[in-house]
Order: sequence, then structure tokens, then C-alpha cells
Amino acid sequence: MAERRKPMQAQDKLAFLLALVPYLMDRDRVSVAEAAEHFGVEQEQLREAVRLIAVSGIPGETNAYQPGDLFDIAWDDFEENDQIILTHQVAIDDSPRFSAREAAALIAGLQYLTALPENADRDAVGSLMAKLTRGASAAPSQLAVARSETDEALATIRDAVIAGVQVEFDYLSSRGERERRRVDPLRIESVDQDWYLRGWDHLRTAIRTFRLDRIDDLVATDEPITYRPGDVKLPETLFTGTPEDQLVTVEVSASAIPLIEDYIPEGAARSERGGVIRTSVRVAHFHGLKRLVAGLSGVLTVLDPPEARQVVAAWAQAGVERYR
Amino acid sequence: MSRSSSSPPRVPVEERLFSLVLALLATENGLTKSEILSTVQGYRQRYEPHGDNSSLERQFERDKDDIRELGVPLETVDAPEASGNNQLLRYRIPKGAYDLPADVSFSPEELTLLGLAAAVWREGSLSGESRRALMKLRSLGVEADDPVVGYAPRLRVRESAFDPLTQALERHVIVQFPYLKPGESASRMRTIAPLSLVQHQGRWHLQGIDQEAGGSRTFLLSRIVGAVKLTARVFDPEKYRVDGEAFAERALAELERIWESNVAEIEVTAGTDAATRLGKRYGEAVAAGADGEPVRLTVNFSDINILADQLASFGPEVLVLSPPELRDHVLRRLEATVAAHTGETSDG
Repeated sequence: MAERRKPMQAQDKLAFLLALVPYLMDRDRVSVAEAAEHFGVEQEQLREAVRLIAVSGIPGETNAYQPGDLFDIAWDDFEENDQIILTHQVAIDDSPRFSAREAAALIAGLQYLTALPENADRDAVGSLMAKLTRGASAAPSQLAVARSETDEALATIRDAVIAGVQVEFDYLSSRGERERRRVDPLRIESVDQDWYLRGWDHLRTAIRTFRLDRIDDLVATDEPITYRPGDVKLPETLFTGTPEDQLVTVEVSASAIPLIEDYIPEGAARSERGGVIRTSVRVAHFHGLKRLVAGLSGVLTVLDPPEARQVVAAWAQAGVERYR
Repeated sequence: MSRSSSSPPRVPVEERLFSLVLALLATENGLTKSEILSTVQGYRQRYEPHGDNSSLERQFERDKDDIRELGVPLETVDAPEASGNNQLLRYRIPKGAYDLPADVSFSPEELTLLGLAAAVWREGSLSGESRRALMKLRSLGVEADDPVVGYAPRLRVRESAFDPLTQALERHVIVQFPYLKPGESASRMRTIAPLSLVQHQGRWHLQGIDQEAGGSRTFLLSRIVGAVKLTARVFDPEKYRVDGEAFAERALAELERIWESNVAEIEVTAGTDAATRLGKRYGEAVAAGADGEPVRLTVNFSDINILADQLASFGPEVLVLSPPELRDHVLRRLEATVAAHTGETSDG
């Protein structure tokens, strides 16, 4: 996930220039503020792009980039009023097509979104995908996401988010405890197949993340939420550490590191020997850990503390007993 | 890169790329390389009329790739009178292939949905492509509806093979990678003509033609245990197409068929995590028992090892009834976990 290198930045800037020109052609006059807002860029970035467009063009008959061969803008309006008026254009008339990968990314994204209840209308999504395909300069790369089942709780939560009402549900924690929870629903998030509700938990009086597949008997209440989505800042990561978290030393196959990356605290020491990495993971309690470790048998081993090893061993042993 | 004695005024990279696109869009018949290097802004400043321009030529080659990667159809036209002579090749961008077709337009609602579809990739591999696609959509000047509140869906590709494979798919080149089949102790190098990348049941698969076995094969990206190498061998995907069907759809249909035909019977304990989560995923009309009671579930799978990992994580909450092979897999995993966590650690 390394950030794009330098040439990519220039590539992005080129894409922006090619997108900006037709937009400016369609608008007789537009303020820097409005155009920047539309493209979601800084105003200064937009001004820079306009300045570059205004002095660019084609070599022309004389190969000398004569004035008629260049774009031009109303400079006074630009410099004094921060308004953009394109007064002369060359070479470009229309928006550019999508690349095969760009179209494929959006198409696969749309396929993934069909898991949302409001996108269950496959025809609408299908016609959108067809348009993206026609709008690409080459056949979109063959990338697809299988349609997945919609969790029935999704629609109710979504409506509750829009209506601004609290929801109530039974929740089974990874410790195996079941409790009735009352939550201000703030956002529905997902990572691949896993869907989560994030909201203000009235029982714990804190922001909490709930797995949708651990929620039962969900109902929307008439009670308005006490926190609006804008009032509280949701942390970027789904799960945030608390001071009570414990550190556990583990050994993990190097290839399985991405599977537990979320649990490895920032800056944790990692040492590798023979394709096995020793590092530490942060867990709220050992009951979540035992499930993680039992699901990565032969790949992830707990070294320390001894109590954590015991909890894992007892969990797996109880599983073995079922087959006796 | 050699530095000439009088350093020419520096032209920003994006200005050079933009000027090249404009020049190639404006030409009907195309421009030769030397015409481009001697006249186009950003090149002309560094062009030596009677000297060595090889570094500038290499710059042009890289710029062409960067421009094509954005979906700009930069064409090479062979000069009929001097076929094969590199210096006489002409370059151009045909307007018809560059312009977004006039009938491709999007409503505000559609733009909102596309914005969310792009946001799905906000982490990793295709985030740059999504961002640029959105920029092109905004170029149409349509304002999206209010952003969708309340949703933050995300696809996260953890496998490092994904990126090189999407490139290979786009370029239609044969790839090589070491693949570890479950149950085998060592990985084996595979040589594949990639046809599609699909996510099924939350896992990414590559489907392609195995060049040694000569048939279609599907690979789990998580079992590609080393770097994916893109070879220079280009292939024509059309020769593998069956019934004009899209490769990705075909691969998904095949995975779905396998998933449906593999069935396991398991018993979960009501009220446990296993009952709640597996019941939601697989249980259709299963009456939930009172806490502690056994509940039977029928579970589909496409890969026995993946299902075994998943079921083993539930420890005593799941008992596999059938097939026997799955029973063995789960039991062996649980036993291995016990063994690895019993007694003192070897070098604690």
C-alpha cells in the first residue's frame, strides 16, 4: 500500500487537466471556489491547473506555439475576481474515456455494493455498468465481485441512520456474553464480507463497533439519537485499543502477517527467523484471541503469557473432546 | 541523465505530458518521434538538433506508457512507404477513440452511487484508478446528490499478488508464480494466461489457462506464496472465450457451482457465537434451539481447507458430522493447536 511515486503524481495531475478543460468549456464562467469544490481539490491546486492550461496548446503551423495555438482565459477576471472564463480552446472537446482498469474498479465496486438493500435493483446497476464499459477506451479488465447475501439488519439500520433514531438489539460478545444493547447508529461499515455497525453504545457510554452477524432481534426505536453523526468523530480504524488491552507474544508465518496486521500495535518489534515472525498482538481479552489462533492452526502460535496459552489450549482441547 | 552545459528551463512533468496529449490529439496524420521531440513543449527545450537524443527518446517512451495507462488511446501508425522503420512511425490520438461517447451520461443519483463504488477501493490497489475515474466523471459537470450518509463499505485486498495480476490482465501477458497447494509441502511454479480476477465468498481467485496442463484452472490468491512475474509473452484471450461469455462471470458461475455442490453437515450449539454467525450465513429455516441445545446446519463450501480453518476457530461450539474428510481436517487442526500451546515454550 505504498503511496504513489512521483511519476504517478504527475499522471494524476495530467488526468486532472484533461478532466478540467471540458468542465470549463461547458461552464461559461465559474468561480475558482465552485470548481475546486466540484473536483474536491484545494483552490490553489485549481488555480495552478488553470494557469498551466492557459499557457498550453499545440505547436501549430509554425511549431512555435503562437497565441492562436494556445488556450486562453480572461486573465483580469481570473486574477482580480477569482473567476475562470475560457476564451480560447484547442485540441480538446470532450471528457476523456476511462481506462480499462478505471472502469473495472468502478464496475467491481458497484457489484460489491449490490449487497446494500437499496441497490438490490440489479437492472439499474447493470445499466450503469454497461455505460462504464462503453465509456472505457479498452474492454474493462475482467474483475468481478460475487453478489453476496444482504443482511436483513442492514435495511433497518440504514433507515434508522436516516431517521436519526436509536436501535436496540441482542449482541453476543466474543466472550460469549449476550446483552441487550441500545445504540445511536452512526455508520455502517464493511471490510469485504464482514459488515459492522458503528455507533454510540448507551450501555457502555462509548463509541463501539458491532459485527452485524452477531446481532439478533434488531428493532428501530422511536427514541431520537443523542449524538448526530457529525457530533462525534469516528476513529479511522474499526477497533481502537484501550488501556486495559493486553499484549501477547506470538509467532506467525510470514505469509500470514496480513491476516493479523490489524492486531499488531504500531511500532511493535518484529523479528524473523526461517519464515516465521515473532511479534506481539494487542487483545482486549484472551477469548477473542483463542478463536483467532484456533482458526490459524499451524500458522499462529501464542508464546506468552502462559495464561493466554492455557486459554487457547483449553479452547482447542474442548473442541477435540467433541470428537471423542 | 546527461546534463548539458546550458541547463534549459525546466518544464514540469505534467506540462510536458499535457502538451504531448494536445499535440497528438490535434494531428490527423500523426507525428514522428523526431517531430515530437523537436517541437512539443517539454521536449523541444532539451532537443539537440544534431546531437544524441537517446535520453529524451527514453523519456518519450515512458511518457507514452504513462499516458496510455490513463486510458488515452495513443496510437502508433506504421508508415506504409517505410514499414518497420522505427524513425518513421507516426504517433497520434484519434479523437473518436479519446472522447467519451456522447450518449454516455450520468444522472446525479448515478454519480452518487459511482462515488460510493469508488470509495470501496479507498485502501490499496485500485484506489488511484478509482480516484481518477471519479475525476473524469466530475469533468461532465453533473453535481452528485448529497453524499450517501451512513455507509462506508470497503474492499480490502490483502494479497500482494493482486496488483501485478490486474496489470497482467490488462496487458494480456502470461504470468508465473509459486503456488502452494494445501497438503503439498512445497510450492510449485505455475505459468498461467490470466483471464479474470474474482472475489467469491470473500476470497480473491485468479482464473486462467495453465500453460503446462493446457486447461482452465482457478487459484486462490492467498496461496500464491511468492512474487508474481509478468512475462513478455502476450496472448490473445479471445481464443479461450466460450459462447462469448465474459471471463469473470464464467469464473464466478463455476465457483458458485463448486460451492453449491460441496455440502457439509455440522452441529452448532445454540446461543453460541458459532450458532449466531454460521446460522445467519447458512441457516435458512433452522429453528433456533434454546441455549445449549444442538442445532444442525448445512454448510456449503468451495475449499475444504478454508472451511476447516473457519470451523476450527469455533472450538467446541461446532461439531462436524460429515463429510469425514472435513471432520479429519478440523480435528487435526484442533489437535495441532493443543500441541502447540501445551507445556513450556521451547525458547521463551
